[in-house]
Amino acid sequence: MSSVLNNPTEFETALEAAFNARSKTNEAQAAAFDRYAKLRLPNRRVEGWKWSDMNAALRSTTDAPAEAPETILPASPFAALNPLEFRIFDGRIELPAEDMPEGLRYGVMDPVATIPELETHAIATLNVAMTRKSLGIEICEGVDFERPILIRHICGKAGFAFAQTMMRVSPGAKFHLIETFEGEGAGLYSHLFHLNVRDGGECRRTVLQETAADLVLNSICAAKVDGDARFEQTSLSTGSRLSRHESHVHFWAPNSSASINSATLLSGERHADFTSETRHMAADCTTRQLHKGVARDRGRNVFQGKFFVERAAQKTDAKMTANALLLSDGAEANHKPELEIYADDVECAHGSTVGALDDDALFYLRQRGLDEAQARALLVEAFVGEIVESVDDEGVRAVLSARVAEWLGAQA
Amino acid sequence: MLNINDLHVAVGGNEILKGLTLNVPKGEVHAIMGPNGSGKSTLSYTVAGRDGYDATAGGATLDGEDVLALDPNERAARGLFLSFQHPMEIPGVQTMNFIRTAMNAQRKARGQDEVSAADFIRLIRDKAKLVGLDDAKLKRQFNVGFSGGEKKRMEMLQMAMFEPRFAIMDETDSGLDIDALKMVGDVVNALRGPERGFLVITHYQRLLDYIKPDAVHVLAGGRIVKSGGPELAKELEKSGYEQFIEAA
Repeated sequence: MSSVLNNPTEFETALEAAFNARSKTNEAQAAAFDRYAKLRLPNRRVEGWKWSDMNAALRSTTDAPAEAPETILPASPFAALNPLEFRIFDGRIELPAEDMPEGLRYGVMDPVATIPELETHAIATLNVAMTRKSLGIEICEGVDFERPILIRHICGKAGFAFAQTMMRVSPGAKFHLIETFEGEGAGLYSHLFHLNVRDGGECRRTVLQETAADLVLNSICAAKVDGDARFEQTSLSTGSRLSRHESHVHFWAPNSSASINSATLLSGERHADFTSETRHMAADCTTRQLHKGVARDRGRNVFQGKFFVERAAQKTDAKMTANALLLSDGAEANHKPELEIYADDVECAHGSTVGALDDDALFYLRQRGLDEAQARALLVEAFVGEIVESVDDEGVRAVLSARVAEWLGAQA
Repeated sequence: MLNINDLHVAVGGNEILKGLTLNVPKGEVHAIMGPNGSGKSTLSYTVAGRDGYDATAGGATLDGEDVLALDPNERAARGLFLSFQHPMEIPGVQTMNFIRTAMNAQRKARGQDEVSAADFIRLIRDKAKLVGLDDAKLKRQFNVGFSGGEKKRMEMLQMAMFEPRFAIMDETDSGLDIDALKMVGDVVNALRGPERGFLVITHYQRLLDYIKPDAVHVLAGGRIVKSGGPELAKELEKSGYEQFIEAA
């Protein structure tokens, strides 16, 4: 089969070979690969990827094994919360080893043919072309599912892996989803998460990324929020060679609300990118977004947030704040908050700050007896604490606090 | 106790303290008064160890130990406490957690055991009552949204908790009403003893109605220009600092 990619990189040549070697590729996937051939891996000249050059990140080679080694998977930091645990090993889905609880339906499905709002997104398009199976989960109508649902994304190898999750929160249903990205892998991991929160539904999503330094990650959450619904998302990432968490939250019906909070803790050469596009298409919806980025050494924190308010979305109330704390001269923060508003009766605001630790506060703490490392750690913990505190679940909050403390301990 | 000898301090290249000499013996309370810009806060920051307050000549010892050679936290562990003129608001830092961490850091540095959670809570409730802060304030983020007076009460709470050997109180009285001044006096008088010393920096005589000093010094132009007994404070209240500004 001839190449549809013009002048492919080494990484793309391997991608195309894998695509062509597959026995079952449907028409939609072939069409997606053709679309990808026109889009290609985004580089810094592509709108929205200026600070996160995916093409460059995937050009350099790594020492990671081609296939993940057989190792015993450690318990999740969330294990104590007794979650219903799904695992995705380099794209391969493993369902929970227990009977399906009442109020929930799940299984392995065929991947989606397309996600219309992401058709011009190169990695999402590649994901549609390459993903073999998709994890489907439904929370049935009116069910308040008490145990958290945990999806562990285990990235163990070099090369590339793709996966999808489709989730439906039926009318009036409630639950807490936790996703962790973990493992020693160093390739590209692309996960496409399609979520629909139906009328009156509530979805809380917590994301924790603690992966090896060489991983290239693109995790996309496309959330369709119906009426009188709630979507609360909190993410904590320690970054990697390039990790990009995207949220595309679309309000389709009135009276819904979302919070989209994120924090990064970056050391070494790690890079984390939180990019979001929140689209208000119906009236009376509220969005609160807070990002806190911490970077030391040559860590790089990227935040791009956009509120798009259509003409119909009167009485939209949307606020976005991004604060970065740079702990070393070589650390970087790039923020791009954006508003695009077509309705006239709305309240929308954004703010962004970048700074260092407050010398006055440091001296105060040291005068009270804390040594410099303790004082700095306490202030960094306080800085990201606002994100951790935004999680409406004590058990999850405690785990996130412990992960922050662990990161701080490792820096001392 | 605290012996400061011919101390010269430059901040950002400007010499602020120009040969300050001061001795506060064990068991005594000394007051420093002086006009704005005379170097009062520079003195307290230098003794406490703030970055950028560098002694270019002279020195300071606490019980014979060169304090200027120590890190700020080491000075705190040796019992040196500074009540800040403008206490910080530190968003995200839980008050109880911070004070307990600080207390244990000091104790650890002195080779003492950590204070237990139960003992700590008992102690902080007790001292909060003494300084007139209600328990709800202790559950808040440190000083966040506190009034000026409440922040000063939080300083006095920490002083009462830590029981320092030597405390520098930098304009603790500014912005306080009569009841709060009396509280400050109560905290200091309860701690006063043969092994402790205090340096009370103030603009006004009125705090000294509640804390009777053993000596009063006038700081002007970066030097102590006059020393005397408590009567000196009263005299300054009448005559003002002008004579000293000119003299300096």
